[in-house]
Amino acid sequence: MAAAMVLLPGENIPTERLPKPKKGKLTLGPGLQHTPPSTISATTAGSLQVDHRKAALWLEDAGGRYQPSVGDLVIAQIHHSSVETYSCALTPHTSFAILGQLAFEGVSKKTRPQLKAADIVYARVSKASKWEDVEIECFNSATGKAEGMGQLKGGMVFDVRPAFARRLMMGTDKEGVSKGGVVLLEEVGGKVKFEVAVGRNGKVWVDSGSVRETVMIGQLLRGADEGGWDVEGQRKAVKKALRDV
Amino acid sequence: MPHATRPSTNESNFLLSALRENLRLDSRALDQYRPISLQFPSDPDVHGQTDVRIGKTRVICNISCEVITPYPDRKFDGVFTINCELSPLMGAGVEVGRPDQTEALISRILDKSIRRSNALDTESLCIIAGQKCFHVRADLHVLDDDGGILDACCLALVAALQHFRRPDYEVNGEQVTVFDPREREPVKLTLQHQPFCATTSYYDAGTIMVQDATLLEEQCREGEIVVSMNRHGEVCQIAKYGGVPVDALGVLSVVKQSWEKVKMMDAVVREALFKDERERDKGGRMKAELSAENERVMERPVG
Repeated sequence: MAAAMVLLPGENIPTERLPKPKKGKLTLGPGLQHTPPSTISATTAGSLQVDHRKAALWLEDAGGRYQPSVGDLVIAQIHHSSVETYSCALTPHTSFAILGQLAFEGVSKKTRPQLKAADIVYARVSKASKWEDVEIECFNSATGKAEGMGQLKGGMVFDVRPAFARRLMMGTDKEGVSKGGVVLLEEVGGKVKFEVAVGRNGKVWVDSGSVRETVMIGQLLRGADEGGWDVEGQRKAVKKALRDV
Repeated sequence: MPHATRPSTNESNFLLSALRENLRLDSRALDQYRPISLQFPSDPDVHGQTDVRIGKTRVICNISCEVITPYPDRKFDGVFTINCELSPLMGAGVEVGRPDQTEALISRILDKSIRRSNALDTESLCIIAGQKCFHVRADLHVLDDDGGILDACCLALVAALQHFRRPDYEVNGEQVTVFDPREREPVKLTLQHQPFCATTSYYDAGTIMVQDATLLEEQCREGEIVVSMNRHGEVCQIAKYGGVPVDALGVLSVVKQSWEKVKMMDAVVREALFKDERERDKGGRMKAELSAENERVMERPVG
């Protein structure tokens, strides 16, 4: 297995790294650009990831900047409301995202939720393009169901890097091994009851029974994010933290 | 457009309930400071630059000096100016040139603590009364803001002043020769005392006092008291700009707590300066010339 390859913007991918697609089509993920006829170059800095089965290539970016893409689940903070929409902040450095006031499950003009400035919601990005405002919604417009989205009440929000949030959301593969290499929340969930919502924009909302437990979970998240703990390190840290609580 | 972040209702409510249970988000005690790291440049020819980190807050300070004509109403004094400009580097929502309250407050408090308290003896900067003096200029840059920039700025400034070396000079009647650092060793500045700032934030109508607040804790606080003092317990200034009223006993206990923190900060600065001095002294510039030892050549004895 060749070592992970780190690419800088503008570098071309050598042809021996490209997977052999069965149907002759190669899928390019984020961070890569195709210049016909056969050059694939990197647009951002990151390590090259290849999936031979799906014939897909992409760059894993460990940066701190979140760029919205359609379908992402994010935690947005309401900044102000206008006539038909709420203006929400996804990150402090980008312009506001628009959330329609009726973009919730089962609402009409008379029964919609009254959100105030500084409230937070769990939403999905429905429209994301470079030249327009980002749009988010709190329900799945295809099915009409909330699916866990909507206003988040109580609890606490912790900031993590967007790449770490992505790993948290990756879930497990067939053998039950965590794909993203983060087992923190599962380990803690074995002993402590809590609710969690992970936003791809680098925010994790945690609501546990007691303040102390929530603070502990926040500390663990920050440690794993900044300390770069591997699975064993995470297990040890969780055991130690659970003993102190 | 970057905009100033305001904490969400969930965060501010949670922070307050945690403080009421004597808990902080990073598990510190209510009066505990984050780890302070102080670094000087590794280049032995550069003096008067510091890089201070208190937790994630980072401030750099640079001291420079030049020869100018003193102010006509202060013929026997040199000039010392402090320049602190906040930039978008330190966080979202800060714009260069926009008159910001934070920037004015920082300048005013640093001015009162260091300039007006005569920490740097400006009379020692005079070369020829009324004609030539040194203008020592301190430039502060906040690189990251995670709360406590005032404490970090003051620490960086005082450490840099102690680290800085001004050029040596000689006066012959009306003639002044200012020597290059390579001709004559530059000279330390005369500091009469070393003041530090300790900020205390308070919550719940002054009943909860917290030292060294992070950015989130600063945004949720009801007010703050900034105490500048030196390690001898001499208070240079106490600043409380608005905020919920605090009673007199509360202020006294804040001053007492700040004294402990100032002693801690002073110890950090001293240790860093001592270590730096030891590193720079390795060898020294003239050691090879000043040594009387001959080079020994190993030869086989003849015969």
